[in-house]
Amino acid sequence: MKRSVCAIAAALAITLAAGATAGCSPSKPEAKKSGGTFTSIDANHAIDPQAPINPYAGKGNAFSGYNAMPLAFAKNHLTDHNQHFPGIAESWTVSSDGAEVTINIQPKAKWSDGTPVTSEDIKTSAAVAFSQGGSVFAITPGSTGALGEVTIVNEKTIKFTQAPGARNNTFLRSILAMWVLPKSVYGSQLPADFWDKIKAGAGTTDAAKAARDEITALGKKIITFGPQKDVSAGPFVLESLNASEAILTKNPNFFNADKIGPDKVRLRNYTGNEQIWNYLTAGELDTAPYTSTPTNVVEQILKVPGSRKITGLSQVSAALVFNQKYAPFDRVEVRQALAYLIDRSEVQKIGEPDSGKVAEHTSGLIEDAAKQWIGDPEVSKLNPYNVDKAKGEALLTQAGLTKKDGKWMLANGQPFTFKLQVPNGFSDWVAAGKNIASQLTNAGIAVEATTSADYAVYQKEIAEGKYAAGFWLIALGPSTYNAYARLYGGANGWSAFGGKLSHKLAGEGGNWIGGAETANIAGVGTLNPGELTYQLSQMPVDQAKETIIKLAKYTNEQLPGIQMWNYINVQFVNSTRYENFPPDNCECLRLTHGVWMQLGYIQPKKQP
Amino acid sequence: MIAKFARQKPGRENSNAAIAGQLARSSSPRRRFWRGVWVALKRRPSRIAGVAIVALFIFMAIAGAWFYPDRLPYDVNEVYAPISWEHPLSTDNQGVDVLALVVTGTRGVLLVAAAAGLVTMLVGTAAGLYAGYRRGAADSVLMRIADFVLTIPGFPLLIVLTTAINVGTWWKMALVLGLIGWGGLARAVRSQTLSLRERGFIEAARGLGLPTRHIVVKELLPNVAPYIATNLLIAVTAYIYAQVGLYFLGVLPVDTSNWGVMLNNAVFLSGALISPDALPYLLAPLGAILLLTLGVVLIVDALEEIFNPRLRES
Amino acid sequence: MKSLLWRLAGHLTRGLAMIWAVTTFTFFLIRLMPGDPVQVQYERLIALGMSPEQAESGTAMTYGFVPHGPVWQQYLDYIVGLAHLDLGVSVDSQGIPVADRVFGAMPWTVLLVLSGILVSFLIGVGLGVVAALKRGNVVGHSLSIAGSLLHGVPPFVIGILLTALFTRQWRWFPSGGIYDADLVAPGFYADFMADVAYHTILPASAFALASYGGWLLAMRSSVASVLGDDFLLAAELRGLTRWMRFRYLARNAILPLFTVLAISFGLVFGGAIFIERIFNYPGLGMLLFASIGARDFSMMSGSFLLITAAVIIANILADLLYSVIDPRVRRQT
Repeated sequence: MKRSVCAIAAALAITLAAGATAGCSPSKPEAKKSGGTFTSIDANHAIDPQAPINPYAGKGNAFSGYNAMPLAFAKNHLTDHNQHFPGIAESWTVSSDGAEVTINIQPKAKWSDGTPVTSEDIKTSAAVAFSQGGSVFAITPGSTGALGEVTIVNEKTIKFTQAPGARNNTFLRSILAMWVLPKSVYGSQLPADFWDKIKAGAGTTDAAKAARDEITALGKKIITFGPQKDVSAGPFVLESLNASEAILTKNPNFFNADKIGPDKVRLRNYTGNEQIWNYLTAGELDTAPYTSTPTNVVEQILKVPGSRKITGLSQVSAALVFNQKYAPFDRVEVRQALAYLIDRSEVQKIGEPDSGKVAEHTSGLIEDAAKQWIGDPEVSKLNPYNVDKAKGEALLTQAGLTKKDGKWMLANGQPFTFKLQVPNGFSDWVAAGKNIASQLTNAGIAVEATTSADYAVYQKEIAEGKYAAGFWLIALGPSTYNAYARLYGGANGWSAFGGKLSHKLAGEGGNWIGGAETANIAGVGTLNPGELTYQLSQMPVDQAKETIIKLAKYTNEQLPGIQMWNYINVQFVNSTRYENFPPDNCECLRLTHGVWMQLGYIQPKKQP
Repeated sequence: MIAKFARQKPGRENSNAAIAGQLARSSSPRRRFWRGVWVALKRRPSRIAGVAIVALFIFMAIAGAWFYPDRLPYDVNEVYAPISWEHPLSTDNQGVDVLALVVTGTRGVLLVAAAAGLVTMLVGTAAGLYAGYRRGAADSVLMRIADFVLTIPGFPLLIVLTTAINVGTWWKMALVLGLIGWGGLARAVRSQTLSLRERGFIEAARGLGLPTRHIVVKELLPNVAPYIATNLLIAVTAYIYAQVGLYFLGVLPVDTSNWGVMLNNAVFLSGALISPDALPYLLAPLGAILLLTLGVVLIVDALEEIFNPRLRES
Repeated sequence: MKSLLWRLAGHLTRGLAMIWAVTTFTFFLIRLMPGDPVQVQYERLIALGMSPEQAESGTAMTYGFVPHGPVWQQYLDYIVGLAHLDLGVSVDSQGIPVADRVFGAMPWTVLLVLSGILVSFLIGVGLGVVAALKRGNVVGHSLSIAGSLLHGVPPFVIGILLTALFTRQWRWFPSGGIYDADLVAPGFYADFMADVAYHTILPASAFALASYGGWLLAMRSSVASVLGDDFLLAAELRGLTRWMRFRYLARNAILPLFTVLAISFGLVFGGAIFIERIFNYPGLGMLLFASIGARDFSMMSGSFLLITAAVIIANILADLLYSVIDPRVRRQT
């Protein structure tokens, strides 16, 4: 509060009060060294000079892969969600039942102030993670698969044990994603009896609730806390900030410092996709994060000398999902008919021409992942729903609709018409939605693409079940549980808590897809997709094939949604100043470019 | 009206006296007024161009949609087609003809702007007249409200409102816009009313026992009318700008056919600033806005001269 | 002097009352907006490519910062906080005090708006005098038309065109940002100011070009009115030089414009959103816009409050300025 009074006084002096903002470092930065300054964009959030240097803070100035390090970085593997690149953790072993993870810290890992990274730092990091909550660090009684014990084995080895009770096979992944924080900075924020509080909070008594409230309050305090000067175990240290860019300098104490090419990194802010295109065509960026770019702009960007594309796998799919509470979408024949009537390649061409690939099959996973999990033969058994007007019309007739004067009528005599909702700001969905509406209208179903004011409104209203059809991201792999949970999880009425699965009826508790709880699938029998999805979270990954086949068949036949396109991760790089970028389909592509540097990529171009 | 003309300094080139004399010989005040308008317009041909432009746009707004089917035809193989007779302004990113988009988009833009202008005019004039005439408590209250409306930052409020309320239909949008902008007009009308009060003829009218309605409509309104007319036209351009701006920011639903939507799509969806292919898609609505603004500006120029003759050449 | 102080006191009281009214209005209006900040953040992180568990961890703390409890209670807490100059904490930024962010962004908007308005005022007034003096011939007419045309064109349109020309076609200016943190560090020295100026020229010009038309038209009317006044005729008859008469003319014509100048400072705060959006200029407008998208209630209220306060302060200054500049008004009080 004192700071704000000071700030008011400063701001009222209408001079170049820019001196009142950002840092207080009056000294000029050093001259550039040979590695140069690498310029890129921070895609996660706007740069906020007032935010703390804390990786947990939403707008924090600790950038993953640059000055914020987790234990390990998740590889973008097609099927195995436990594959990681080493971070602060050099290697790790998992017990046979998956409940115990032993981490070996990088022997040369040091903080930027010269002190070594030890297990004490990791334990402190785990404590902070508990204060923040979420995933395996949840202290809610009855939550499944949470972290139980943290044991220090020696200075460079630490053990994490899952709490007794229900298992969750994302345990390793969640542990490895934990941010590593220095005890020297954060230790003072934690009370001495913090671990006792965590133990106490797991119960159901009043004292337990009080402990949990204390931990939450502490979490709120910690998330706004950050050191005055950055203490980083990563390849870079934050040097200065302003509201439109952050400058980081190389950390000589990084355990792999000789692999890092650039001397400095400049992370710029951006307010919209077209700004990234701006920067790219002006040649002001060395790399850019994934941005959805139309073909004509891609052409322009590639004309800039030195620029090229790197493409890779993206386990995200855009689907048109129906709210089955709106007749006639409760009839599977109608949903299948629409799949036959919509030309998905045209939709993809209009919506996401460059960073998307037409989804050949609706299986609930992206095509490549599906093939990897259940094999090509199984995937080709699925119905591709190629454009077939005759079949579509036959299905509609079968569902009781009639065609009059070229327009389809429902059984009750009303014309078959619906609104396709898309959120403002998602340009690819907006364009695709319009195209689908045009296609279906030409086929005799009057569809109108309408937009919600912004994504927040869209989210809220879709969860309330206000729209007959809308766009939804599905197939969020590599964890198949996560992928299918988008279709058969909370949005469709199923929720798992404390090891028990429950199902709510359509329209209640956020169930807006409103699909049937079970259905009879030809050749397999009656299936409950929610249960099958839940099983995916429990069973070991190598036994999942049968379950995935069932879910793929279910999704393909019941069509809670029609998969339109699978996203391709397209990133633009410019090799004028730096060379040696990752190849196409590198498993590191979805990680930040700081991680690319840690893997040895991005070296300054040798001057002739 | 004539009194205003006659107050000019003698020896002026444009012989106001001559005009005044000529007008005085015409039959009714209304016809005299329109004659004056025509003379002012003829003085500079650019003003006639202005009237023609605005008339063209009004025609497009009313009749434009009749020339095209409800759903504009699209062709995904004709995205950003080269300029030809079939697509004189190229096509957009879905393959829809841009000229068709501009013509059918006129209605949305003009309808909302005109309706919003109407709302502003009604509310602002009524508030200003009543406050200026009645004075006292009514005046204070009304002017406080007008100040409130004037002080709230317009665009941020619009952005919040468009997300809080669904302003999908044109009349809702017009209502929202109109209610945000009446403050200035109310104040202007009020100060004009106040100064008219000083002139004594209101006292005379009241002394004659004429009812308030007569005074307001027959005495006050014609004198305030010039302000309202110019203000209205300027307000309409301001509302067009506001709409286009909101679409451009992306806070209004982009499912309507509207120049602002085209601008938004062109810049953010199609990268028109970066790739010359999509340039016509950007320039077409831009050109339409510029042209319409030009037309209105020329008309306002004429109006200003009609109502403020001092602006004629020295 | 005493009367001046009384007037000031009156203005301040009215200003505070207005601020209170606007704050209350926007407070409740903002609460009407549909959308849950936690959900917004979650889905945004998913769309960025995070796995659901990561997104869940990322948003776990946001919930704690969303104000809960009955709206009346929240309102009272907010007003009490305001009295202590505490604008609350941001939801989207998970606990950063709103005042820090808002006052951090404000100087940039002030810089942009100030420079833009001053330049447009100078250009507009200068050209307005020419337009008024030459209003019979083509020069005057085309100046007025050009001015009104540019005035009617939305400023972001001009901003887009400037961006296209000067950052891409000819790479004379940077496409965004406020200063180059790699080259200069903040401080009151020449290099820094030069860098800031380099980054501010384009957005300020967009602004200036879009608004000079208004000043031109206003000055033109004002000069035209003054031209008809008797004292000028008298000056001419007395044999004063053209330059002296011009000074009389200009001084009197410009008087009413000063109050409008002061008021427009305030109004422009809200409209700077477009320019900041196009030029990636991190001022108040961008802050407000981003907080609306993120449903960050406290940040929205804070930005609204600041913009309104700016408008009110500008109005007060306008009134005081007018009484200082125009001796006729001073004599009345």
